[in-house]
Amino acid sequence: MLYPLLWLLAASFKPDNQIFNTGIWPSADWSLDAYFRGWNAMRVSFSVFFMNSFVIAILSIIGNLMACSMAAYAFARMEFKFKNFWFAMMLMTLMLPSQVTIIPQYVLFRDLGWINTILPLVVPKFLAVDAFFIFLMVQFFRGIPRELDEAARMDGAGPWRIYWKIMLPLSTPVLVTAAIFTFIWTWDDFFGPLIFLNRMQDYTVTLGLRTFVDSTGESDFGGLFAMSVLSIVPIFLFFLIFQRFLIEGIATTGMKR
Amino acid sequence: MHNAASRRSIWSRAWENHAPGYLFLLPWLIGFIGLTVGPMISSFYLSFTNFDLLTPARWVGLENYQRMFTNDRNFAASLRVTFTFVLFSVPLKLAFALVIAILLNRGMKGLPLYRALFYLPSLLGASVAIAILWRQIFSGSGLVNQFLANFGIVGPSWISNPNYSLWTLIILSVWQFGSPMIIFLAGLRQIPQDMYEAASLDGAGKWRQFWKITLPLLTPVVFFNAIIQTINSFQSFTPAFIISNGTGQPINSTLFYALYLYNEAFSFFRMGYASALAWFLLFLIACFTAFSFLTSKYWVHYDD
Repeated sequence: MLYPLLWLLAASFKPDNQIFNTGIWPSADWSLDAYFRGWNAMRVSFSVFFMNSFVIAILSIIGNLMACSMAAYAFARMEFKFKNFWFAMMLMTLMLPSQVTIIPQYVLFRDLGWINTILPLVVPKFLAVDAFFIFLMVQFFRGIPRELDEAARMDGAGPWRIYWKIMLPLSTPVLVTAAIFTFIWTWDDFFGPLIFLNRMQDYTVTLGLRTFVDSTGESDFGGLFAMSVLSIVPIFLFFLIFQRFLIEGIATTGMKR
Repeated sequence: MHNAASRRSIWSRAWENHAPGYLFLLPWLIGFIGLTVGPMISSFYLSFTNFDLLTPARWVGLENYQRMFTNDRNFAASLRVTFTFVLFSVPLKLAFALVIAILLNRGMKGLPLYRALFYLPSLLGASVAIAILWRQIFSGSGLVNQFLANFGIVGPSWISNPNYSLWTLIILSVWQFGSPMIIFLAGLRQIPQDMYEAASLDGAGKWRQFWKITLPLLTPVVFFNAIIQTINSFQSFTPAFIISNGTGQPINSTLFYALYLYNEAFSFFRMGYASALAWFLLFLIACFTAFSFLTSKYWVHYDD
């Protein structure tokens, strides 16, 4: 189950001539050599790639939490014309393969002059394109007692206040879940950066790793494995810290109709 | 006069009633129109044209679709690869996820830790790092063959042998069973314990309890997982891209549909043809989803 991961971790500490000794135990003369070598193996160092990935991931989290929770609040608590139609449309987008929209999106972003910037990767998040999270939040919001809204409305609170003061504070589990998944998905995203980022100084960690394979990987396995390990660490830490919330968030959005 | 006043009040009342909702919906609505509906219409139009990003699109009618179905060996190969991948990886993955979820649900000690460990591969699975690791494990001198050498077996180079290369990707996909497993766990939690107690009083063994209670009550969750996993598998891209260096080789054995589409669009700039490919993918997924929902009433039990 976990053997491949442990092997990768062990291999990243081994001197080059011992990498392919099987076994997941670090060799006696383990070293951090591979890490230093890999970090600066290319024209642009991995510090830049990590920085880029973090910026994209953090902006994406902010965008998704804001836009998706607003839409979810509208669907779960507000009344307006054509609500059911829009809701159905939103569910349809869950099943829409991204390939259908990616080419016109590419043309659109090119015409806006956004290619080789992070905008194509971040702006859509502020427009709630990740419908999955809207769905998740709607399910959660519906479980919050309506009496709370009613009471606040009696006290003269408008929809904004109810959203800010009642809904969001009570929805920590689902918001954290959305934040975790957004982080993991954007951190791991390969297709988006591959299409929109062409200059090495803009690369994310995923693109950096792939370039590593192409340029030096076949000769420097130690460096490649060391960087692979580092690329996984943020996800691992994120998960460890927040996993309590994660289960709660998913388990409470029952799959039953 | 009287009419105008009442009409204005109708409008202002409508505004008061509906505007706040639309204000909350606004970001999504802009995204939906600008990044989903608009591009869908546009790519539908493009699928009837030749378009290379630089010169204006040229109308060619059904030519792209004709070429797809009658004169494109790569298209046929990529469909075969993708269907094989979906047919094997989804059921295997779900079976694994269900078995492990049931074991975890029996209340192993140190549950959160176990859950985290089982979930870990899925968490990392989509990443480039893991695809790189996979490439290494299944190479000629990789981990798998070293293991086989202990038994005196000389293994092939799995990733560069067209008979096995797709299977390494199927194994990678099955290895990432964490997400459906978590959802199964949530579903198992909702099954009341007293049903099992009643069944065991009636003398039903564990096996019978599974077939008579667990599985029927879990069908909504199985259904949900199957739909999500299938739709995702149809669009699988990154592992095949990394393992084959973006080529889908050897002999197109790892030419996933999404990989073929990417190459047509962004390596050869045949945007019109790629749009046609994308719309056919949408058609496949829509057919599958419709079929699933239509047949679901024969095997999915909702208990309300």
